[in-house]
Amino acid sequence: MNRLLFNFSPWLDVLAIAAWGGLFLYYRANGKLFLLIHPSYMWLTVVAGVVLVVVALLKGMVLMRQARRSTVRGGSGAPHLRIFPPGIGSLLLLAIAILGMVITPRAFASQTALDRGATDTLTVTRVRPQVFRGSEKTEDKSLVDWIRTLTVYPEPDAYTGQKAKVQGFVIYPPNLPNQYLLIARFVITCCAADVYPVSLPVKLAQSRDTYKADSWLEIEGAMMTETLAEKRQLVIEAKTIKEIPEPKNPYEY
Amino acid sequence: MNSNQLNNAFTLFLSLLVEAVPFLLLGVLFSGVLLFFVDERKLVRMMPKNPLLGAFAGSCIGFLFPVCECGNVPVARRLLMQGVPSSVAIGFLLAAPTINPIVFWATWTAFRDQPEVVFLRIGFSLAIATIVGWVFSVQKDLRPMLQPAVARAIPVRREDNEGKPKLATSSAFASQSSPLLQSGTYWLNQPGQTGRTDVAELQATMVAASTAGKPLSYKFNLLLENTVQEFRELGGVLILGSAIAAIVQVFVPRDIILSLGQGPVTSILAMMLLAAVVSICSTVDSFFALSFASTFTTGSLLAFLVFGPMIDLKAVGLMLSIFKPRAIFYLFALAGQLTFLLTLIVNLYVS
Repeated sequence: MNRLLFNFSPWLDVLAIAAWGGLFLYYRANGKLFLLIHPSYMWLTVVAGVVLVVVALLKGMVLMRQARRSTVRGGSGAPHLRIFPPGIGSLLLLAIAILGMVITPRAFASQTALDRGATDTLTVTRVRPQVFRGSEKTEDKSLVDWIRTLTVYPEPDAYTGQKAKVQGFVIYPPNLPNQYLLIARFVITCCAADVYPVSLPVKLAQSRDTYKADSWLEIEGAMMTETLAEKRQLVIEAKTIKEIPEPKNPYEY
Repeated sequence: MNSNQLNNAFTLFLSLLVEAVPFLLLGVLFSGVLLFFVDERKLVRMMPKNPLLGAFAGSCIGFLFPVCECGNVPVARRLLMQGVPSSVAIGFLLAAPTINPIVFWATWTAFRDQPEVVFLRIGFSLAIATIVGWVFSVQKDLRPMLQPAVARAIPVRREDNEGKPKLATSSAFASQSSPLLQSGTYWLNQPGQTGRTDVAELQATMVAASTAGKPLSYKFNLLLENTVQEFRELGGVLILGSAIAAIVQVFVPRDIILSLGQGPVTSILAMMLLAAVVSICSTVDSFFALSFASTFTTGSLLAFLVFGPMIDLKAVGLMLSIFKPRAIFYLFALAGQLTFLLTLIVNLYVS
């Protein structure tokens, strides 16, 4: 087995590196990269993917040339392993790349949001306002825009009656009555390791059971103030609720 | 553990890799270019002899190599094998992930409203790296603390008869006339020794043999080979580190880490722990820290930004390719204590 790995490990290297390059480009092509990292870093991944494929091709060409010249000589392709036993490093890389192609990464859902503190709506002051446009129509604001505005001026009464139209996924808040749900989005700053949820409570006319947790909704309504969980907060009173498909890029920035 | 959490962990794991591999690749390529196209010995000779100045100079080399903590390890290992004083190498290892233009730019983007974070980050990293490098210079011969493969490749300084310092590697092959340059015959002639050959030794031997006069295609082949090998090994370690980071992030509720504290002391400890666990690349960690900007003290954010690039789970995995665990423990303890002290001062007296 060891001898076999020893002989094939130069080709394993080529395969493993090509597989990683392929994985990156595959994620870019099928849009899964949107689930993993912030779009401004995507070009890095794409360039890395291309470079990896090129390195694998070059290395493959060198190996082929060596093989044609002599079958005995290990040449520069002989393994000089340090951390991993022969072939194991490449096998690990190859295996993970294949796993990455087989198992599709999924967008995070409500459970993750709850784990990461989606319920403390007012601690989401992390979102810093970047731009202010006074004349903005309030129904054009995204969920994150609302949270940003709230961060700067947290008094909920200031927004009473303003029209709202936001998209997001459903969270069942554990501490609110059955008539309420949270509409939430994840905000990504760099990669999926640091996504954090922002959310607003939504008051429904009926029980929330019609809308499953994690389903994506577009909610139109008006802003109101309610005291929920002993906290005065901004709540969307829903007028129309439309089910929407999960967006290709579920995060906001 | 349910399948949902498992998928979350896998997604996290992949996102760390997708984010980190480009930088790892950049580091590997840089270190390869450095190896084959730059005369490091000149750089090494330019380093000040004084340990304190050396540590400072080493900390600043990072500005030439915009690599994060996945990329600085191969470069640091190479510098060590080129025979730079330990103070220079340690200073570089600790400071390079932070003291470089890309990270400065990223931190500036993230903390434009709090410029003190940007400058204190740079200042503290520089100070800590210099001090730790200086402390390590007390150990004149670093080799007992290094992995045997790296230690063997370190050149020992010998004074020849004329009194001129002369470099020779302590590797078994150094005395032969650059065996690697006799393409292909190397492994054939010395089959018994292939077992103890590795890429570290290979590189050092090649450097000792000086590639300066060789044709470009030859250098290019070496660069290619070096890239493949380093990517394979460091990539393997990166995978293990990212897997641990992802598992801890998903299966240990973040609340536990965060609820550890809002106070001046506990918030710093919590953020240092988070930094070590999350293992996020120094190039992008300021954005990650930004997401805690409102809930955590400025000192603890700094602790995250200063300590994270020096020591984290992923980096420890990579550093094991240079150091024995004992040395990593010293680095960890020194850097950790200094970070804690400096950022505590910020918490208590500045903000």
